[in-house]
Amino acid sequence: MTHPVLLFALPLLAAFLLPVVWRASPAAGRLFGPLVLAVNVVIGLLAWDDVAGQALVIALGGFQPPFGIAFYIDRLALLFAVAVSLAILLLWPAGRDGDGAVREATLTLVLAAAGTGLAMSGDLFNIYVFYELTAVASYGLAAARGTGAGYAATMRFVVIGSFGAALMLIGVALVYQAAGTLNLAQLAQVAPGTLDGPLGLAAFVFMLFGAGVKAELFPVNTWVPEVYGAASKRVAGLLAGIISKLALLIILRLLVLVFQHAEAQQILLLLGVAGVITGELAAWRARDLTRMLAYSSIGQLGVMFIAFSIPGEAGVFAGLAVALHHMVVKPALFLLAGRWGGAVERLDGAAQASPLAAALFILLALSLIGIPPLPGFWAKFLVVSSALAQPGAAHAFAAAAILFAAVVEASYLFRVVARLYRRLPAARLPQAPGRRDLAVGSLLGAGLVAAVLWLAPVGDGLRGIAAEAADRDGYIRAVNPAVELLP
Amino acid sequence: MSPPDLGVILFTAAFGLAGIGILGIVISAHLVRIVLSIVLLETGANLLLMLSGFRFDAVAPVIVDGVVPASMVDPVPQALVLTAIVIGVAVQAFMMTLVLRLRRVYGTLDIRELRDLLERDLAREAGVGLPGSENAPVPATGSPAVARGEGSS
Repeated sequence: MTHPVLLFALPLLAAFLLPVVWRASPAAGRLFGPLVLAVNVVIGLLAWDDVAGQALVIALGGFQPPFGIAFYIDRLALLFAVAVSLAILLLWPAGRDGDGAVREATLTLVLAAAGTGLAMSGDLFNIYVFYELTAVASYGLAAARGTGAGYAATMRFVVIGSFGAALMLIGVALVYQAAGTLNLAQLAQVAPGTLDGPLGLAAFVFMLFGAGVKAELFPVNTWVPEVYGAASKRVAGLLAGIISKLALLIILRLLVLVFQHAEAQQILLLLGVAGVITGELAAWRARDLTRMLAYSSIGQLGVMFIAFSIPGEAGVFAGLAVALHHMVVKPALFLLAGRWGGAVERLDGAAQASPLAAALFILLALSLIGIPPLPGFWAKFLVVSSALAQPGAAHAFAAAAILFAAVVEASYLFRVVARLYRRLPAARLPQAPGRRDLAVGSLLGAGLVAAVLWLAPVGDGLRGIAAEAADRDGYIRAVNPAVELLP
Repeated sequence: MSPPDLGVILFTAAFGLAGIGILGIVISAHLVRIVLSIVLLETGANLLLMLSGFRFDAVAPVIVDGVVPASMVDPVPQALVLTAIVIGVAVQAFMMTLVLRLRRVYGTLDIRELRDLLERDLAREAGVGLPGSENAPVPATGSPAVARGEGSS
């Protein structure tokens, strides 16, 4: 009845139908997008049993891999596809009037389609195309507010994004030159003979910087604070929470399947540590809440890079834990920042205006810092402990950097909390977050608390997903059952 | 001295175009020049992709009158490069639209001026004072933005 490929096809179709529906009836148009995304979430959840035991490989158009384009849907891909749909549903753009609303809704649906496609794709060039589609949709959303600052920030985003995309394309060309295929499973098969030299490493670095633009990797993340500052906070939450994780998923797939070089892991470790330190220090110096959150997300993504640089299943598990945690916490924080977004000093007395919002901020901040028993603690604990289990000083240094970053995070987040609880006369209180923002934020916060209560099943489930994602032979066998693997 | 191999020339051209593009993005101060540099970089990348499957001793992979040519060019990169060109053109059109809008709003396309204007507007919206002081650590007490009279509130 339902088919997982609908996860990608449905929002794409809906995106181009939306203007027509909107013209027929604006009221129906407003409901159309969220409805499609809700259906998407249901389809994703229904497909869960199909992929639970064995990853699902879909040969698009009936062309069998490696000749056609394959979708590879394991539990990790499905988890991301559902998370993208759900997050975009929760962060659906606030109602505006006129043509702007139609365009914004259309772009948001394109973003949903591209994001789910990116999560499920099993072909390198297909990944490039979906990555660009995601990029173009997010450029449009970043500029959607129509302010001068929005255009200027988006221009910078587009320039860095196109630069990254061109590098990624060069990486793809180098891979094809060396290996003669772009199917990830076949690449995984032939990589040990063809891509383990300097050419393979160069291809990896090109693609790392390409995907790194969206994943807020250290040197190519200068767009982050400006775009998050100038775009609407829902878009900022989407980019920081979800889209960056999709780029991270590409890097994870590349590392696990194609580039198992020690050098590749060292580069990732180095850039991750640089991201953690620069991001958290910049967040500490930031004076407005939005940019503080933007810089903090650079730091958090640095932690994920460090985790993925740890070879084997432990690193994948730890990285996914941090990624999923950040996926819940950061959008919720950006939703709170929607009305609170200005200078930190303006937040004096916000707890009086809305006690629930302040309590929610504390919960999210504590989890972000990593205070037990919140999920953020377990995620960081996994990264630090598996980094310390590695031989060599580099990983130990990375673990120290993460702990140092936690102290810095505590310093700047508590600075905000202290502001929230200052007492002010009622006439000068700041605005409380909007009702919908607060409801969605509370829902995400409740998810965080639920993860604490069911820590063991969540942890076990995630460990299983990570083990499957880290299993290179399993990936090859799923796509090509007839293959004979070398021992 | 024998003439250099065509392949060498083309690979040099691909990396050369990409290099010129990257250099242009880094050193240009005018937005239109930056857009043009991106076009160059993408052209280099596309040429490289094209070359990744090309064989100089082969013909197009078309079977004419049932005769299968002895060696054929790999058609996959050519299909890929077509997609990449289309994506590139779309993004370039988007960039030029942004350039037009920026020109209309700020009246300049110099990236240094735009950067300052962006900082100013972001700081004004957030109410945290001017760009020069924007990165300064917050003092423990008081409100520097208000103290300096730069806040918009």
